[in-house]
Amino acid sequence: MKYFKKGQIEKIIDRLAEKADVYVPMLRGQQSGFYSWKSYDENYDDLIFDLLNVYSPPKNIVLPQTEKMYSFDQQGQEIIIKPEEIPVEPNVIFGIRSCDVKAIEYLDEVFFTRTFVDEFYKARRDQVTIVANACYNPGTNCFCKSMGVNPLEPEAADVILREVENGYVWESKTEKGNILTKQIEDLLEEKEVELYEPNRFVRKVNYDGVAEKLKDLFDHPMWEKYSDPCQTCGICTYMCPTCYCFDVQVKNWGEEGYRFRCWDSCMYREYTQMAGGHNPREAATERFRNRFLHKLQFFNERYGTPLCTGCGRCVVACPAGVDIIRMIELIKGAEPSV
Amino acid sequence: MSNCSCENPLIPQIVEVIKIVDETPDVKTFYVQKDNGVPFDVMPGQLAMVSLLPVGEGMFSVSWQEDDHLQFAIKRVGVMTDELHAIDVGQRLGVRGPYGNGFPVEKCKGQDMLFIGGGIGLAPLRSFIKYCFKHREDYGKITIIYGSRSYDDLCFKEELFEKWPQEKDTQVYVTIDNAEEKWDGHVGYVPAYLEELNPDPQNTVAVTCGPPIMIKFVLQALEKMGFSDEQVITTLEMRMKCGIGKCGRCNIGSEYICLDGPVFDLAQLRKLPPEW
Repeated sequence: MKYFKKGQIEKIIDRLAEKADVYVPMLRGQQSGFYSWKSYDENYDDLIFDLLNVYSPPKNIVLPQTEKMYSFDQQGQEIIIKPEEIPVEPNVIFGIRSCDVKAIEYLDEVFFTRTFVDEFYKARRDQVTIVANACYNPGTNCFCKSMGVNPLEPEAADVILREVENGYVWESKTEKGNILTKQIEDLLEEKEVELYEPNRFVRKVNYDGVAEKLKDLFDHPMWEKYSDPCQTCGICTYMCPTCYCFDVQVKNWGEEGYRFRCWDSCMYREYTQMAGGHNPREAATERFRNRFLHKLQFFNERYGTPLCTGCGRCVVACPAGVDIIRMIELIKGAEPSV
Repeated sequence: MSNCSCENPLIPQIVEVIKIVDETPDVKTFYVQKDNGVPFDVMPGQLAMVSLLPVGEGMFSVSWQEDDHLQFAIKRVGVMTDELHAIDVGQRLGVRGPYGNGFPVEKCKGQDMLFIGGGIGLAPLRSFIKYCFKHREDYGKITIIYGSRSYDDLCFKEELFEKWPQEKDTQVYVTIDNAEEKWDGHVGYVPAYLEELNPDPQNTVAVTCGPPIMIKFVLQALEKMGFSDEQVITTLEMRMKCGIGKCGRCNIGSEYICLDGPVFDLAQLRKLPPEW
């Protein structure tokens, strides 16, 4: 086994950062997320490797919260369009957890398959190497296993780190991973170490049959009831590592400007508001229902998996106590209305 | 720096507006061209994102394609279309596409065609109607039933009253909602007129597009007349941003209207949640 001591971790990140922009889990003030190692300031930031997951998901690395697409310049009736150059620097997401790795797999499905390839996403994604940190201690709101995620074996990872006594095991899984291994070879040692027994999950839910069952629950009164506390603030969608919906907007100063895309949320009225007044999901209940149906039924029908990796962030973030685990249980218990 | 050739489906090509036709007080048809040709080929019923660069973009059905231009009939209903209605010939626009499945022109071959439109809903139908005329021998009898609020609001009047009725084996029925002095034709709503005309469902495909309330009653009328769900086709509308099935918002159930639609037959629609 390849192994390094915990004290070596900054050295390893430094080394990887010679050839790539390395995103690491940090606590920055009240916030935690994956931030560039280049921006690390020891006065303000803490590397939080041993803590479970960070508050903000790493999806912004492949799908930035706002992203310029092209700029334009209109002179009289003439127009010039200039596509934005997408940065092509290699990235390493270092220390990402299984739920978030799975989320990137789902984003790959969305942006790479079903007819069109999203070139903006592809340009960023192609540059990413994933160094995952296997989870041996699920958190209080973690339920990844219930959603079909293996916390110990993140499939799309190029390297898997496994926390052991005083150190980490470094397990390369792919060609991309081997490249990183070569880069840090002198910092790794060969050592046989004992792996931890994984702890049990506090929260569990059985998703089996939910997608199928939801087909008959579209008009169920439960949606009215359970959406009642929802403020449609959209924090669940922003914190979700799998939510990928985006808006396309324009920023202009006179005739010049640029188009950009930015994260959008299905919880907002404007999301489906059409010019001319019609809105198919005018009511908060309809938007709440669409969000859960998209996660638990529609995505499953289209891509064969639920669009939830059990990271638990929405459960923590929701100011109204909406809890997707509880929702799944309620759906399972609901009597289809005829 | 030049006009991009667009490997990237989200970046528009630049086209020039070569002609603008005033159809009604709030509908204009824009003819757009790129390098004396078209930016891309479209099939009837397909969509394209039209972009007035400093203002915004919107998804529209292409109401017809000629060798050297595309036509978009666009109703003034919001911020972007307001601005669009203020442009002059010569203006450059962005377009990207084509998007969506389009009408099943092959599957309909050999069938009698019944087109039922209301208001600006004739714009997408027109692409299929004109396609049928262009390939006249492939289709049977053609019946067009069209209505709008008033005479002034009828789109494509020249085609409606002069050209289409001259086509072989073609009937055109036009109605307006309320009687007015300059109109001596039929008065009443489209669904009622449809029931009055009572077309024979045998070997016929009905294609309808219009305001949601009209579509709702047209579908009911067709069902009453004996049209099966597979014989009824409509084209849906949702807010769209990307056009390529990624941005999320145009879903009805697990279908994306921009990619899997906008054209569905009634049998397909009945399997979807009732959000259409």
